[in-house]
Parts: sequence; structure tokens; C-alpha cells
Amino acid sequence: MANVHIPPREQTAPAENALSVEHLKMGYGDRILLEDASFSVKKGEILVILGGSGCGKSSLMKHIIGLYQPMAGDIKIKNQSIVNANKADKAKLQRQLGVMYQSGALFGSLNVLENVRFPLDQFTDIGLKEKNLTASILLDLLEMGYAGSLMPGELSGGMLKRAGIARAMALGADILMLDEPSAGLDPITAANLDQTILRLRDSLGVTFVIVTHELQSIFNIADRAIMLDPHTKSIIAEGRPQSLRDHSEDPHVRQFFNRLSDKEQHKGE
Amino acid sequence: MNSVPLLVIEVSLDAKITSASVAQWWQRINSLLLDNPNAAIRVDAKDLTYIDTTGIAFLYDLQNRQRPTHAEIIIENLAPNLAALIPTSKQQTVVENEQKSESKSLITTIGKATQSQIAYVSTMYLFLKECAMAMKETLLGKQKVRWAEVFTIATQAGANAVPIVLLIGFLMGVIMAFEIGLVAQKFGAVLFVADGIGISMFRELGPLMTAIIFAGRTGAAFAAEIGTQKVNEEINALNTFGISPISYLVLPRILASIMVLPLLTILADLVGIFGGALVLLKFNIGFLQFYNELLHSISSWDFIVGLLKATTFGITIAAIGCERGLTTGSGATSVGLSATSAVVTSIVWIVVIDGFFTVLTS
Repeated sequence: MANVHIPPREQTAPAENALSVEHLKMGYGDRILLEDASFSVKKGEILVILGGSGCGKSSLMKHIIGLYQPMAGDIKIKNQSIVNANKADKAKLQRQLGVMYQSGALFGSLNVLENVRFPLDQFTDIGLKEKNLTASILLDLLEMGYAGSLMPGELSGGMLKRAGIARAMALGADILMLDEPSAGLDPITAANLDQTILRLRDSLGVTFVIVTHELQSIFNIADRAIMLDPHTKSIIAEGRPQSLRDHSEDPHVRQFFNRLSDKEQHKGE
Repeated sequence: MNSVPLLVIEVSLDAKITSASVAQWWQRINSLLLDNPNAAIRVDAKDLTYIDTTGIAFLYDLQNRQRPTHAEIIIENLAPNLAALIPTSKQQTVVENEQKSESKSLITTIGKATQSQIAYVSTMYLFLKECAMAMKETLLGKQKVRWAEVFTIATQAGANAVPIVLLIGFLMGVIMAFEIGLVAQKFGAVLFVADGIGISMFRELGPLMTAIIFAGRTGAAFAAEIGTQKVNEEINALNTFGISPISYLVLPRILASIMVLPLLTILADLVGIFGGALVLLKFNIGFLQFYNELLHSISSWDFIVGLLKATTFGITIAAIGCERGLTTGSGATSVGLSATSAVVTSIVWIVVIDGFFTVLTS
């Protein structure tokens, strides 16, 4: 086999935004969750959205996916607004995002392989044998190669989440949104999942937006974190998790990252 | 000897292979391989800079196609960073079409179906026995009945079902009177239509039709509700607290059904007869005449048989609905299957029990 010039992979241009959130105001009815939030995610970056329970992390993710309409502001996927897009364009943008929901959200009537194959069945003309091969490779990538014929009801929590990620990646989405990927998993499975996320980023250049408050996972995988605050209804911290833990000026941020109770925090102050 | 390729076909890949373009590539390569079984395929990947997961699968497929040695697929100039993405281990592809289907003879099928029905009857027997024990304990005062829950279920299953029962009962009376009336008119026996409507509504159609509506509406709801609780592990939680799901969930539903199904049946009977009487006005039979004829033809026994049937149907539908709910598997599909099974099984047993009643009370 002759060796030739190796071109660089195209999606690793460092400065390009995979998605950006601009002056977002969101909530439900009279209940405002975020007043004016802005942040962006670079291609190939792993961004973690964190905050206490009920601060609107999952809601923010659903706004980014385009499931909910914001009250104000804009959300852009690869520089295209998903907020102002018409129905057809919005569907196209949504297909560029792979989403894993908290429970995995696999379809109960399909086995794992069929679940992973589902987006290929719906949106491509690939033959059945080739679709099965693609789904098998994806499952193998997530160390689930043995589970293709199992039904979702037969899977553990960690397997459901990994199968959910495989399905999210089936159409070749290069932005993956994961909602609480390691919640409820045993430490080994959670660590393996962290490794899988890093491997997917490193090998395929996938951009990750991860909603979580599992500190160990955050320190393991996040390039950058943003922290939402339900009281100020804004982003109160942004940066590398380690530096937020050690150097943040906001005591609440330090308390969060150091996993301190209110009593311990007051004692420290 | 045959290792020298007779023909070499060259293919150059695009810069990108993604889910948007991979289908055409696969079709092109597949037809190329099919048309040229003895040609070597040289795939030039020098322009290829980006692949997604479907592209990985495509390249893996090319690398692992089983071809004669002189007709292999050779991928050239593939960038190492892309080559590193292709799995090296053999993929165990699950292909549904290749799954073995067990061929069954008709006798085996009938045998297995009979076996499963016998197993079901024995499970149902044990379940009903447990329900009877729970009922006995309740009657002896050893166990409390959640009457608030019973009345809530009775409202949902009974009061809320009144409009549909009225509609179906009325239309049945109207249709029956009209069809029989047209024939009876030829023999000058229109008055006897009142007898037919009275007997059939009180003894047969009233209880039967109401029970079928009840099975479709309430039996399915019982199965789906308890099935969802099973999927959410609420039944396990009850067991862990030492609370019997039979006493806590099943008994209130059976009691509510015993209460409301006879009442709904009476309603269906009355409105059906009223519908029949309305139609007979057209055949010059007045309300009073209809009423007198009805009194001559039916007895209180007919009414009691109808109510006995309705009560038995109520117990049957509630028990089947709850049993199907409690035996639900995992996942949303199982809940749907349980609800469907509850309705079908209830209707079958309603008809069977109705047959027994007819034979025993004739």
C-alpha cells in the first residue's frame, strides 16, 4: 500500500463554534429559569452544564435541541439559528445533534440493535445488512457488541445509557448532548463511560454538551464547565472545573465543586 | 496459478463519506462486486479526509468482504488517522433474517396453545383463590377495605360510563324492535315484539353488551394502570412494605366492579326497552299496551338472572384486568399487551360464562 500525504481532519479547527447560546431567556409561564445566558461550545470540546437540582440544566439542553422555544435570545448550531429556523430547517439541524436522554429513552418494542439502527432506517437508503453492520460497529464502540439482540427491558442502567449514546451517534452526529450520563451508575461503569466519551471525542472529534452534577465525571472529562444558579437565574461560573474548584471567587461555586455541606462551608469561611 | 487478477477496477473515494452519501457508495460497490466477481477492486482513499460512523462501517465492510484471492478489495492511500477508526475485531452482526425460525406443525401449535391456556387457567385459579381469601378476611373484619378508593374507582368505571351505556342500550332496543317488528308485522304479531325485547334485554343482551363495554373501558384501564405500576416497581414497593397487592389494588377494583356493573346493566335494560317501546309506536303499539305485554312476558327471575350475570361478569372482568396488570413484563410494550390481553380474555370469558348461565337457568 503506497503512503501519501495525510490530510488533517477537517472538524478540528480550534476556533470554530459547534454551538452558541446568545442572551437566552427561558422558563415556563411565569417561572423564569434563566434571564440572560450566553456561552458557546467549540468543535471537539467537552462542555459540562452543571448546577443544583431544579436550576434548569435539562431545560437548557431541551432548548438547545429545539424542543422548547426560548422567551428571548438565540441558539445557533454551527452558526445556524435553531430558534428562528422554519420547521424543515429545524429538523435538519436537529438531525445534526445526537441526544441521549436521562433514561436512555430506547424504544421498548425494538431490540438494542434495532434501536441503534432506527435513525438509519428513517433517514437513509442504506441496505439492511449494511445498517446492521453500522449499528454493530457503534455498539462495539460503546462496548455493547454482545447486547444487540437484547430488549431494553433486559438492560441495566449503564447499558441503557450506552445504547442511547450509540443511537444518538447513528446518523454521524458530531455534536452529542448527554443528559446525566453517569447518574446512577456504579463507579466502574461510570469511569468506563467517561473513557468512552473521551475516546469518541479524540477519535471522531465529537463535540459533547453534558448535563451532570457527578463531580468525578466532571473532573475526568470536562474541558470547560458552566454553572447555572437558580437564585440569580444566570451562569455564575465558567471555566475549567479544576480552576473553578480551587480559585473561584464565588463561595457557592467552591462549595459545589468541593462537595461541602452548608455547615462545612460556613465553618470554612 | 489464479492469483494474478484478470481485471482490476479502480474506484476513488470522495473527500467525505457520511450518512448522507454512504448509501450511494454502498450501492455502487455492491453492484460492482456483483457484476465483477473475478475482478480485483482497488479503492483509492487519497482524497478521503472525513468519515462518520456510517463511513467507518463502510470502510470496515470493504476491508472484510470475503472474495477470492485474485479478486480482493484493496484500499490504498487511507490516512492513518482514518484507518485507526476502523475496528480490527470481527463484528458479530445480528441479522434478523438469519435468526432461526422454528418450524411448527399444526398439532404442535394447537398443543402449545392448549398447554398455555391450561397454565393460564391454573394461574387464574390461584389468583382468584387469593382474591377470595382477601375477600373473606375483609368480610371477617380482619382487613380494612379502602372504601374511598372503591368509590373513586366506582365513579370512574361506573358513573363516567353512563353516557356510553345509555347510547348503546338505547340503540340496541331501537334496532332490535325495528328488525323484529318488520317481520312480526307480516304475521300480525307486533305486540309480541315487546316480549322479545323484554326477555332478551333483561336476560341476555343487557348484561352481555354492558359487560363488553365494561371490559373495553374498565378492564383495559385496570390492566394498564396496574401494569404501569408493575413496570415502575410500585408493586415491589407494596410487597416490601408487607402489603398484599391483592388486598390493596385488586380487591377495591373487584368491589367497585361488583357495585357498578349491575347498576349499569339495569340502566342498559331500561333504556333498551324504552328504545324498543319508542319504535313500536310506529307499529301502533302504545306505551301502556307495551308495558302490559312486558309485565306478562317477563318475571322477576329474568331480572335476577340478568343481575347475577352482571355481578359475575363484573368479578370476571376486574379479576382478569388486575391479573393481566400484575403479570405485566417490563417496558411500555408489555403494558399495551396486558391491556389488549385483558380485553380479549375478558370478552371470551364473558361469552363462555353467559353460555353456562343460559344452559343452567333455562
